[in-house]
Amino acid sequence: MKQVREPIRIKWIWPVLVAIIVLGVPWYLPQGSYKPIIMGFPYWTFISALLTVALSLFLGYVMTYCWDMESTLEDDSKQRKTGGGSK
Amino acid sequence: MNLPFIGWHGVITIALYALFILGTTLYLATKGVSRKSLSGFYLADKGLGPLLLFFTLFSTQYSGNTVIGYPATAYRMGFAWWMSVPYMVMVIVGYMLFAPRLHVVSKKFGFVTPSDWFDKRFNSKPVTLVATLLMAYGLLNYLLEQLVAMGQAISGLTAGVIPYIYGVLFLVAIMLVYEWMGGMKAVALADFINGMVILAGVIGFVILAWVNFGSLSSATANLAQTAPSRVVVPPIQTSMNWLSYYVLVGIGAAVYPHAIQRIYAADSERTLKKSLMRMTWMPFFTTAVVLIIGIIGTQAFPGLDKMGSEQLVGMMANVIAGKSTFNYWFMMLLFSGVIAAIMSTTDSVILSLSSLLSNDIYGKLINPKADEGQKVIWGKVVGIILVFLLLLIAWKPPATLVEIFTLKFEVLIQVAPAFLLGLYWKGLSKTGVLLGMLSGAVLAGVMTFSGVKTFYGWHGGVLGLALNLVVSIVLSFVFPDSPTEQQAAEEAYAWTVRD
Repeated sequence: MKQVREPIRIKWIWPVLVAIIVLGVPWYLPQGSYKPIIMGFPYWTFISALLTVALSLFLGYVMTYCWDMESTLEDDSKQRKTGGGSK
Repeated sequence: MNLPFIGWHGVITIALYALFILGTTLYLATKGVSRKSLSGFYLADKGLGPLLLFFTLFSTQYSGNTVIGYPATAYRMGFAWWMSVPYMVMVIVGYMLFAPRLHVVSKKFGFVTPSDWFDKRFNSKPVTLVATLLMAYGLLNYLLEQLVAMGQAISGLTAGVIPYIYGVLFLVAIMLVYEWMGGMKAVALADFINGMVILAGVIGFVILAWVNFGSLSSATANLAQTAPSRVVVPPIQTSMNWLSYYVLVGIGAAVYPHAIQRIYAADSERTLKKSLMRMTWMPFFTTAVVLIIGIIGTQAFPGLDKMGSEQLVGMMANVIAGKSTFNYWFMMLLFSGVIAAIMSTTDSVILSLSSLLSNDIYGKLINPKADEGQKVIWGKVVGIILVFLLLLIAWKPPATLVEIFTLKFEVLIQVAPAFLLGLYWKGLSKTGVLLGMLSGAVLAGVMTFSGVKTFYGWHGGVLGLALNLVVSIVLSFVFPDSPTEQQAAEEAYAWTVRD
């Protein structure tokens, strides 16, 4: 039987996601500052942009390696056909 | 939006564009569509491949407001509006909380609408009814907003050559024809074309804005001198508002009825994953680009007030279009993109609403014995009647009780606990989820009606959701379902879990 992977049941994903998300909001940076300007963005927007990229990359990783549930459907229909339970 | 440069050319462009969409969808997306099966009509036989699924997710999620309203917000808020980029990525985080499991569950039980999940999981008429009504109410208001935006865009684009109501009637008629003939398949194909036009329009516009009004760097340097509050690290309340948007949009947009139906409509898990993976990058090509347009606008047209800034995209377009024939026609493409963005959101909402009417209201409440063909016809006909009633409201909006028509996300998001908890915890009881949804909707509604949209930066809908979760959990312990009911509930999803 193929291994089933579901993001919500893989515990380590979620603290990483929360960290990327929370650090992407500039609540911890000194209010009122904006220098240096990097590629037209004030530094804090640039940091937030990098973390947004990190978020998209991480989601790509999660979808590729931590999500595989379709086999449950196949197993389920096989069981129904044979009338047997899982062994 | 006032675009005196367009006039009759705008009329012709919009008409040709809409007819092109109609012709393509009728030619390519109506053959083989089953109009006698709910899943065949409303979910394209659950056979949407990666390209169509991605584009229909994309262009449904980004509406006309993204193109016209977001640059104006960026103009007023400055760089803090960067939040619109990650909050669009958060929608995918929202999906990760429930879509993997819901996708296989929906395949196994043949779901057509979100209410089918309520029915299967809670087996309670009141729960399904309240959830369906909340979703239908939210969808109707969402549709009304799109119709108003459509009318304003058309009369703006054609400089009043086409009056508001005729423009809307024309586009709505086109959408209703291809939806009637092709259902989800036609909507997905129209969304594909619209999505391409949105992308081309937005990216082309930022390039022309950059060339004509100066670079982002110079606009930022200028803004730091003239309005530093829009460049500096924002105050803590803005950061709270930013986080609140993450919850509101991240969870709210993921549980939109039409978003959930796209989870059902994916032909396979692989397709769904592929499409969602692409979606995580789309905010960089849309909301991020639109933010840059707004910031460049601060240098091009400094000192606009709130009303003035709402005209920003039109003002920039006027200047750009005046410089060359190429620019002129390119601006025409941009504004076709605006119409495309509104159309692609509207058609999906109409289809979703029609499916709720046929599968849930008619099929579950009014005439459960009807065959699927009858249900589809009922949904189409009543859907059209509702669209025309909304058109009347959009045409002559009532002077009072306007707030009734503004509740969308705030209400729609209240169905979230039934998915986020209901898919994983058999203890979530009928009473808990029912009173949770109601209390959340009431809190969000009261906040909206009283004009208190946010509390310390947190949106009414998010506070409603928090209350909803607390009530759902506490009441599930106080009024649990019977052990037999819990076992039946668990059977809806337990087979997906394997340790």
